[in-house]
Amino acid sequence: MKNLLIILPILFPFLAAITIAVAKFQEKKRNVFAAVSVILNLVFVVYLSHHMPGGKLHLLKINEFLDIYFKIDKLSIFFSSLVSILWVFTTIYSMEYMKHEGKEDRFFSYFIATLGITLGIAFSGNLITLYLFYEFLTLATFPLVIHSGSKEALESGKKYLIYSFGGATLVLFGMIILFSLTNNLTFVPKGILNNVSDSNIYLISLSYLVMFIGFGVKAALVPFHAWLPQAMVAPTPVSSLLHAVAVVKSGAFALIRITYYIFGAEVIRKTHSAGYLTVLIVISILMGSFLALHQENLKKRLAYSTISQLGYILLGIILLNESSLVGGMLHLINHAVIKITLFFCTGAIMYTTGKTEIGQIAGIGRQMPITMWCFTISSISLIGIPPTNGFVSKWNLALGGLIDGKAVFPAILLLSALLTAMYLLPVITEAFFKKGDNVILLKKEAPKKMVIPIVCITMITVLLGLFPNPILVFVREIANELI
Amino acid sequence: MLIDSFPLLTVLLLFITASIMPLLKKSNLVKGICIISFIVSFVMYLATLNRVLKTGDYFYRVGHFNAPFGIEFHVGTVECIMGILFTFVAIMVIWNSIYNIHFDIREDKIPLYYLLVNILIASLLGIVFSNDMFNVFVFIEIGNLASCGIVVVKDKKENIKAGMKYLIMSCLGSGLVLMGIAFLYSITGHLNMTYIHNELVKNYIHYPRTILITLGLFTVGLGVKSAMFPLHTWLPDAHSNAPTTSSAILSSLVLKGYILFLIKVLYRVFGIEIIRNFPILNIILVLGCLGMILGSIFAIFQKNLKRVIAYSTVAQMGYIFFAIGLGTELGIIMSIFHIIGHAVTKAALFLCTGAIIQGTGHKNLDELKGVGKEMPYTLGLFFIASLSMIGIPLLPGFVSKWYLALGSIEANKTLLIAVILASSLLNAVYYFPVSINGFFGEENLRGKIYKSKSKSLKELLPIIILVIAMIYIGIDSQSIINLIKTGLV
Repeated sequence: MKNLLIILPILFPFLAAITIAVAKFQEKKRNVFAAVSVILNLVFVVYLSHHMPGGKLHLLKINEFLDIYFKIDKLSIFFSSLVSILWVFTTIYSMEYMKHEGKEDRFFSYFIATLGITLGIAFSGNLITLYLFYEFLTLATFPLVIHSGSKEALESGKKYLIYSFGGATLVLFGMIILFSLTNNLTFVPKGILNNVSDSNIYLISLSYLVMFIGFGVKAALVPFHAWLPQAMVAPTPVSSLLHAVAVVKSGAFALIRITYYIFGAEVIRKTHSAGYLTVLIVISILMGSFLALHQENLKKRLAYSTISQLGYILLGIILLNESSLVGGMLHLINHAVIKITLFFCTGAIMYTTGKTEIGQIAGIGRQMPITMWCFTISSISLIGIPPTNGFVSKWNLALGGLIDGKAVFPAILLLSALLTAMYLLPVITEAFFKKGDNVILLKKEAPKKMVIPIVCITMITVLLGLFPNPILVFVREIANELI
Repeated sequence: MLIDSFPLLTVLLLFITASIMPLLKKSNLVKGICIISFIVSFVMYLATLNRVLKTGDYFYRVGHFNAPFGIEFHVGTVECIMGILFTFVAIMVIWNSIYNIHFDIREDKIPLYYLLVNILIASLLGIVFSNDMFNVFVFIEIGNLASCGIVVVKDKKENIKAGMKYLIMSCLGSGLVLMGIAFLYSITGHLNMTYIHNELVKNYIHYPRTILITLGLFTVGLGVKSAMFPLHTWLPDAHSNAPTTSSAILSSLVLKGYILFLIKVLYRVFGIEIIRNFPILNIILVLGCLGMILGSIFAIFQKNLKRVIAYSTVAQMGYIFFAIGLGTELGIIMSIFHIIGHAVTKAALFLCTGAIIQGTGHKNLDELKGVGKEMPYTLGLFFIASLSMIGIPLLPGFVSKWYLALGSIEANKTLLIAVILASSLLNAVYYFPVSINGFFGEENLRGKIYKSKSKSLKELLPIIILVIAMIYIGIDSQSIINLIKTGLV
């Protein structure tokens, strides 16, 4: 019976979401309720990770494939804690931010429901459960993307749906082929394909490629990335959380799951499918950076940067060695905290001054020093200058690339870091060193509810850079099991 | 035993109650009689299924004449499941019609309408159970007229036009079926399916061309009636113009009766051994694929909500033909499972659409934007039902697709998975915008008042029950599939 607790963090947000939708709280009460439920959910996740690692639950077993199965292992603890912590900050941030977007009740109910779905992805014990929650994720985030309800928003929402469902369909295709070979879709470290004969290697290869591209759609793999920059019409908390943390990282997380828990590194090496995928990933890394250079809109620039940074994570997954996997997973965390700060800062600027383009923000560093300092710290971390956290993950990735004997990967990483500097540093120089047209030097920070999360996450970023070891050890343990 | 004669009794009951209806003046009484007759039939089928599961299939001799001379009913698991399905969906649809039939049909025609409904379902049940070819033909003809009747009953210009088109196509279909039966009779000298099969097994080698022609006649004839892809042209007009109740019955039940007869002809009368020597299954498979893809593509371009759903029916019938065309045991099982899943889902979709059209007075998709604010529950139910069509896991649509894909791998036709998936993606393309434009979009929602056109819970209850049944079919798919499997062996 104790195992039933696993569904608590998945189910509770749904209940909270329904309560918000139905109860019609006053603003203050709703904010408190939302914050309490998100924090409570974090407590549940922490409790589960401490008290029942290895817990399993077959919630609903219909037949051998339709089997809703949850399992807590290290990887799910890793992902669920990341998501839950960042969700708390985002909830606090959105309370203030969403005031000028309106329709807050609707926002908060879908927003908190999405937390439950993302945790569902984290705790999924087999591919079909993951797939189910993956579809739900699309459905629940869709209303968030089109929150403003404008024509433009509906247009990008449509694009988001088409891309996501297209991807999910590819995943289904791979899943069916795989199931016909194995009759089993459970996640097991090192994969479930040990007993499959070599004659089916072609089918396995097809299935892996299709699934990688399918999940890659959510992880903004070029050429399936076009939905991500468009989805920036969503309110900033949504962009930050969903398009830097929950949605895209769910894609990356799912890729770790299929690569190491379904196929296994050995089998993938045999299929030689990784080669084709590496090309796509390298293109993602470079193209994302180059396109980011040309964006005048701050949010769009960050969106393209996300495409490039996600490429790092995917590269870490596909290189199939321990060091690169460690690097990839570290980057999954680091990019999440960094990108969320960057988005929050952009949102804070938008909220207080209404400025969205890089050309407009001259001198804003003097007006909003705390926000811009946090922005600067995060930018430096993203570029990967030691001793920041971005450096730690990129170091491991580069090592992983070298183990394979290919110096080209470190070279690409360096080039991309250079490009990252080129698209982020101008924002900082613009903000601090240029004088604005109308010289208002009054200090006017965003409201506290927005500044506090920014500062907190920046502190986490700094701490992750200074003391990377606890996380590094944990991630190494995961990687050790897998390779 | 009395239970043995339940299948015959239900058919008779529905016919007899139908004949009483025009004598009654009060429409409420007619509605009551109609729904009670279906509830009684439903209970009888439950009892029959129970009996069949305990003691096995049996042949019921009508009038105690022995087989080659008398008419037989074959009562097996699959037949009972179909009986339960047909009566269940009919109960829900008729329950729903009680509240809103007067919007579609003039008061004085209501008894006539329910008479036609009763006759139609009775004839479908006759097709399902009868083991005699000519008997089936008679039921087909009765059903034919009754189904055209429930299309034209609305008495508008486009209804009559659609009804005529339906009648002509349908009669053509029955004619072909009759010729097929005549051919079989000339080869075998029997009309009883079991006897025909025994004769055919003995001497099919001598009549390869005749059998090929016969198979063609049955496939095309029944294909017209069950909207096989290039023969579907009557369907969108008939289904979209008919009153809501009729659309739901036509789309979810009538087509299914004919397709079940096709399955019976192919697998019981001829048998897999014989049809494997002919290309017929591959042709059905290809036409099924075409239907799945092109039906969905046509649906995307429709402006009228009811037509969208009607074309979606063409696509869904494609799945059933696809399953039949696979020619494996799994294929037949899935064709029957898809019949069940689709019947319940499509009925729910049509009833929701009917409620929406009636509530807002608009039919076109453009005008229905923002309807989610006015009728949140109805559109919500529509959304859940459409999720099954799109193939979200746990719902019956997903189960069908999954097993069909496995079936095509099993039959060494791996490429066909792409067709299944492409079709489900296309389903998403036309089903999602309805709900999205209904629920979201600032411009759409402006000026709409929340729940202003909402239906009362009482009126929504039949749709809710259909949706619950649909979810149940998805979740309990394993036991339903096992049940069908036991029925086939």
